[in-house]
Amino acid sequence: MENVDLSIVIGGPQGGGIDTASNMISKAFAYSGYQVISVREFHSNIKGRHSYVHLRVKNSQVRSLRYPVDILVALDPDTIFEHHEDISKGTRVLYDADFEASELSQARMIMRDTSRRIKEMLESTGHPLNVRGVLDYMKSKGAFPIPISFGNVVSEAVSDGTPTRYFNTFGAAATLAVVGIEKNYVEKVIKSVFGNKEKVIGPNIKVVDAAYDYCARNNLRIKNLPDLEMGKKMLLTGNDGSAIGKVLGGLRFQTYYPITPASDESTILEEHEELKWIDGENTNLITGGVTVVQAEDEISAINMASGAAMTGTRSATATSGPGFSLMAEAISFAGMDEIPLVVTLYQRGGPSTGLPTRNGQSDLLFALHTGHGEFPRMVISSGDVKECIEDSARALNYAQRYQLPVIHLIDKNLANTTELVDIPDGSSIMIQDPERSDGKDAFSRFTLDTKNGISPIGYFGRDIFWLTGDEHDEKGHVTEDTWMRDRQMEKRFLKLQTAEEEIPMSDRAIVLGPSRADVTFMTWGSQKGLVLDVIDALGKKGIKANLLYLKMFEPFPAKFVSDVLKKAKTVIGVESNMTAQASKVIKMNTGIDIENQILKYNGRHVTEDEVMEASLKIIEKKQKIVVLENGA
Amino acid sequence: MAHNFRTDVAIDWCPGCGDFGILTALTQAFTELNLDPKNLAMVSGIGCSGKTPHYVNAAGMHTLHGRGIPFATGVKLANPNLKVVLTGGDGDLLSIGAGHFVAEGRRNTGITVVLFDNQVYGLTKGQAAPTMALGMQTKSLTRPNVFGQVNPVALALASGYTFVARGFSFDTKQLKDIIKRSILHDGSSLIDVLQPCPTYNNINTMEVYRQKVYKLEDDKSWNPTINESNADHYEEIYQRAFMKALEMDKRIPTGVFFENNTIPSFPKRLNEHVKDYLTSPPALQSVGKNGKSLVDPANSFADKILQ
Repeated sequence: MENVDLSIVIGGPQGGGIDTASNMISKAFAYSGYQVISVREFHSNIKGRHSYVHLRVKNSQVRSLRYPVDILVALDPDTIFEHHEDISKGTRVLYDADFEASELSQARMIMRDTSRRIKEMLESTGHPLNVRGVLDYMKSKGAFPIPISFGNVVSEAVSDGTPTRYFNTFGAAATLAVVGIEKNYVEKVIKSVFGNKEKVIGPNIKVVDAAYDYCARNNLRIKNLPDLEMGKKMLLTGNDGSAIGKVLGGLRFQTYYPITPASDESTILEEHEELKWIDGENTNLITGGVTVVQAEDEISAINMASGAAMTGTRSATATSGPGFSLMAEAISFAGMDEIPLVVTLYQRGGPSTGLPTRNGQSDLLFALHTGHGEFPRMVISSGDVKECIEDSARALNYAQRYQLPVIHLIDKNLANTTELVDIPDGSSIMIQDPERSDGKDAFSRFTLDTKNGISPIGYFGRDIFWLTGDEHDEKGHVTEDTWMRDRQMEKRFLKLQTAEEEIPMSDRAIVLGPSRADVTFMTWGSQKGLVLDVIDALGKKGIKANLLYLKMFEPFPAKFVSDVLKKAKTVIGVESNMTAQASKVIKMNTGIDIENQILKYNGRHVTEDEVMEASLKIIEKKQKIVVLENGA
Repeated sequence: MAHNFRTDVAIDWCPGCGDFGILTALTQAFTELNLDPKNLAMVSGIGCSGKTPHYVNAAGMHTLHGRGIPFATGVKLANPNLKVVLTGGDGDLLSIGAGHFVAEGRRNTGITVVLFDNQVYGLTKGQAAPTMALGMQTKSLTRPNVFGQVNPVALALASGYTFVARGFSFDTKQLKDIIKRSILHDGSSLIDVLQPCPTYNNINTMEVYRQKVYKLEDDKSWNPTINESNADHYEEIYQRAFMKALEMDKRIPTGVFFENNTIPSFPKRLNEHVKDYLTSPPALQSVGKNGKSLVDPANSFADKILQ
């Protein structure tokens, strides 16, 4: 069978059902047996501004997005304006014929500077400043605009007087009809998306029928994607993955304060607060649900989680940059008092409020240094949804085993990426028990009598012990004794050495691809999949490349990374930040400079094509730093 | 033998400090209630009041400045079987931690908040705290206080605390009785404790307070309690508590201002939503067996499966 590789953007006003449309498209492809990945891009806005979902579909593993798109579906004029550069020869542009007369000057929801740039493009290419002008521009690049009167077609199918309510379903169905996905899958999707809302399902199915009829009548089909075998899969975002991994890893208490893009994880946990248990495993064991608490601010959220952790509950909080800034003092407390605490840090574009709904990887150095004083912590990062599941369970285990704050980095791009993943096998998730007190009365929470730095932990409700943010003696009372101070500092830091000895290197850093290569990429987080795709593409050009992929930044796998980089020829760092933070961490730990950098800090998801192009600039044209600028 | 609720840690409060009376009232209350010290969690913030857990022979957590309430809330929500008592200063609870103080009223988690109210930041050399009156100049202030005064009892009433009282650190018997009632109360309590700071507050001294305080319970008709049976008198009882809270000048009332038993505590509210929350709270659940997870991901997240 020929390789299927489709790139799609569906865009419309925020609040116009773009998420639902994208969900329909993803599910329909999945039901037909295709691999699909998508990422959601949106403004910090409730209604009106341009939002879109970028999808990619393959009949083999799909792990990155690419421009140009094969299909652009516009549910509003802004989508046509915003994505004028994302098309190429053969791109089908599906849009409402009514948009054609829309003037750029009337598109008030487009950011002023974006509007100015579009205006300049249209003027310089001699097109009128309206949708028709953009469509002409697209045509000049080989795209096929396909005007459809959404209102007429939908009104013929559903006569409830509000045709616009169905435009998202129509757009999704038309997309699927154009590539030849069987209609019965789309009907199945409608039932799945709208659940038991019978009143909604009926008219939506009529709209699907209308879309398929319309595309058939007008010969719009460009492909005929055959059915493939579909395995049982989960359709998950990074937020979902982290939530699932947390409950598998024993999380029973999560706190949060609303913030994008972190709070979705807490909402997902709350929706699934009633946990289901593996048959036969719950006899005689106390099982319940997961408790999610919305705190009054992030300071409260993290401190509540710390308090809960000291009752023996696996506890966590999830936040994003601004909230994490507020948590700094509490991270220091958790380090000092050896509290098993997990903080899931969803990175977005900073600084300050920055780009609140956009991607970024600019909190790595902050996560490594949050909080005053010197104390051990662990910092780990995930690169795809499957890793989100595994790593959030691992983070809880690390926190228990080493009794310290564990910061789990997930970038916004991954949080809002939807992937098809295998159903996790619950029994493959390990639960690592902490070393506990023996429950006897004479208990020293911070005993120095330990070879690995790990003093058995005590819990409220079980033991009598004290915690204090002050330096403390073995019982946990305040001390300023010089000898005890030194010993407690050393005991705390010994835990990192223990962690280094116990945690397999494959969970910390790994080389993917051939062990010997002409080009070695270094990346972390959500660029993992796309760099692997770029490596495949370079391979086809005869350039042998591999990837040094980093997962644990503290304790940092310095020797491993140093050995890999010393052997490497051309090294290229790929990060979603301006200052190449992971490269700085490498330099700090190994003394090795990574000179070549592909960096992106405009907040939009990184795409395969732009990294490929940038890599060639570095490999062939010896450019050192390439800044990526893709994205609407 | 009854548990000794005092530790042998040397107490480093100043001689004559009101904190001693509060510590005595606390440990007496614990003893009289015959509390299991392992089921008691003492939480504090920073300052002189913050040291209290180290002097109490029960599990204790001496946390961050202003953050005692979140820690205490986390402990209580993870294990609602525990009695959680928080000791905090006026700066700790009403300045740096004021947001948490208000939020706790909305939650009504079921913790006892004991506010060490001496109107100054003692440990940092006597700066004005939020309970100091406008224009007051204690001996360590370089100029009269330029801030207005917050009224802890009124703020607690407005925030939703379901048990609101005031004690005086030199009347340990009354304070002990208030603490006992607050611990037995299901929702959250605020106990404002007037206490002299003999080192930095030379205006509101023990003698001054002794002349001003009077007990609400001395009025035999005083009834601050709302139960299901008299819930229709809610407005009247709540308003009266407010009126009494505003008496701050010539005479200062002590005792229980308000006790509302008709508002469910936060654990009870959670129990409405989280299955078996009260019988299987987070802290008592098993999370693994033989090193394996107990949760079935396919069933727990069945809505995410495509088939």
